[in-house]
This record gives sequence, structure tokens and C-alpha cells, in this order.
Amino acid sequence: MDFLAELKKILKELLDFEEREITPETLLIQDLGAESIDLLELAVTINSRFKVAVKDDEIFLTRFRLYSREAEQQGKDAIHYLAGKYPFLGKDRIAEIMAHIKEGPQLKIKDLISYVTYPSQGV
Amino acid sequence: MILRFSGNRALVLGGTCELALALAHSMIESGLFPLLTYRDDKGLNRITEALRPFNGRYETCYLNFGDRDSLDSIFSQAGDDLDFLVDFAQGNYESLIAGADEECVYSYFMENVSFRAEILKRVGRAMLKKRKGRLVYVSSAAAPRPNPGQGFYAAAKLASEALYRNMGLELGERGITTVILRPGYIEAGRGRIYLQKQDRKILEMTPIKRAITGEEISQTILFLLSDSAAGINATEISMDGGLTSGK
Repeated sequence: MDFLAELKKILKELLDFEEREITPETLLIQDLGAESIDLLELAVTINSRFKVAVKDDEIFLTRFRLYSREAEQQGKDAIHYLAGKYPFLGKDRIAEIMAHIKEGPQLKIKDLISYVTYPSQGV
Repeated sequence: MILRFSGNRALVLGGTCELALALAHSMIESGLFPLLTYRDDKGLNRITEALRPFNGRYETCYLNFGDRDSLDSIFSQAGDDLDFLVDFAQGNYESLIAGADEECVYSYFMENVSFRAEILKRVGRAMLKKRKGRLVYVSSAAAPRPNPGQGFYAAAKLASEALYRNMGLELGERGITTVILRPGYIEAGRGRIYLQKQDRKILEMTPIKRAITGEEISQTILFLLSDSAAGINATEISMDGGLTSGK
């Protein structure tokens, strides 16, 4: 399955926008303006379209900052700690998110693809 | 008045109580298809008995509040094909606050509030796929005005009302709306037993001087489920004959 093409189709339906460039690097919240209800609907659609069990907090990295702070408070290596919380993200991607987190939510299309293609996510 | 409905499959929680059975009757006659929940064989028999003339026009499914596996089984049976939810389910725990058993309190809120939140999550997500749905929560006039001993009941009802209210706030723009009905003294089920215990004197405090009938409740719920009531969202309606409006 071409996950990127399928996600593009879903996002066009849900966010109701005209033809626009969506790449794996597109930011869901900052670039596409997705709001919390859009994300909820996206989770429901991903669940039924890809037959994947979705935990909203995980797929949308909702607690990323909180976990990052937790690691700091506990004197743990943040990347290692976050990799335990988000096993579908590679350590490079976690480092990339941490480097840009101050610019706003870093959730990208490629993170959704990582989530749905991660081996243990199948229902 | 002719009522029209957007959809026809209705999950009825607490489907064995007298009010739920009266509602199921009216629903079937109005072309809706109720899915009634029960938690033991006695309840299942009550449904089968009450709806005998309507075989094949309703379904039953096992649901025990607090038992998460039973919730899974509802969704395996109903799939995501739900248009309506009517929620009558409510455990009773009467105790003075200062006299309550801690274990009972924890499990009471787990069953009647936390579990209900999980049901709402599952139902809300199923309805989101269709981008439509209507939910009616049957609360009680005792939620805002409890008697001594009803503190836990009222707290669970108010917490549940808050869940339904927010659901309507959050998903209204996706066509999923909610309404809370607060009946007062009812001539049905637990209400009837209470009225008998009180020798019906309590009705003197009610401006209309009588109890609300089961038929009135079921017809009102049917109206609230209909397209005519679609603008009533994320709010509560008292149906207590004026009892809680005065003092």
C-alpha cells in the first residue's frame, strides 16, 4: 500500500483543502492547520482505513514535551527515554523533533507513516 | 407531529429497566432498531418478555458496567453502525458521605463514571465515521437536588452529565450531538417503589401534583432523538413537573 498517497487522500477529505503539496515533511498542525477535532477524526479514519489500532496520544506525539521534561527531571538521556515512549520513531527523528520543538508542534506526515507501518501496530 | 430520524440503529444502555423497555416499544413502532443491553439472564428474559411481539426488530447484547470485555463484545456485535445512544444505566449506592465504604465508593465511580467515559469514547469514534449521531443521557432531578444519602448517586450523575455535555460541545460540528434529560418523580421502576414508600405524599411538593409517567418519558426521549430536536445540544432538560424550580 502507498501510505503517503492514502494519507494525502484522507487529509484532503478531512481538512477540506484544495490541491496542495503534501510531502512526508509536511507539518500537520503548522502547515495544514489541523485542529484537535481534525486529529481525532484522523485517528478514527486511520484506524478503519489501515486496520491499525491507534492510540491518539502516541500517534500525535501529544505528550512529547511532557516526556522530554520527565527525562530531564529524572536525569535520564532524553532521546533514549523518548525512544521508549515512541518506539515507532527512530532516534534520529526524535533528535530532529527535539531540535525544533520550540518552533511549535513537530508532528509530520512521515511520523504518521512510521506509526502505521510499525510492526506491532497491526490489529 | 410526525417525527423523522437520521438513522435507525439505537444502542440502549440499561436496556432492561421499565423505561428502556417502554422506549424500545416506541422506537420499534417508529421504525428504529434498538440494541438493548442487559447484564444477567433475568434482564434478558425481561426484554424478551416485554418485546415478544417484536421479534427480529431489536437485538440484545450483554454489557456489565465495569467489565471492559463486555464493551468489546458490543462493538463486535454492532460494529460501528450506530446512529443513536440512549443511556439509562445507573448503579445505585445510597450512603451518607461520612458513612461510606471506601471500596464501594471507588468501584461505584469506576463503574458509573470512568466506564461510561470509555463507552462514550467508543461510541463517539464510531459515530465520527458516519459524521452523525445523537446521544441522550437519562439523568435525574436528584443530580442537582439530591436528598441526604444520595450524594454518590448525584455525584456520578453530574459527572456523567458533564461527559455528555462536553461530547456535544466537542463533536457538535461533526454532526454528533447530546442532550441530558432529568426526570423527577417517575411512575416507573425505582421511582414507583420510592413513591410507594413515601405514600405518594412527596408529590404534594410537585407543582403538577403527580408523577411523570413512563410513557411521557419515552415519548420525550423519542422526540429528543428526532430531527425536530437536533438544535438541542450539550444541555440538560428538566422533566420534573416543576419540582426543582421552586422551594
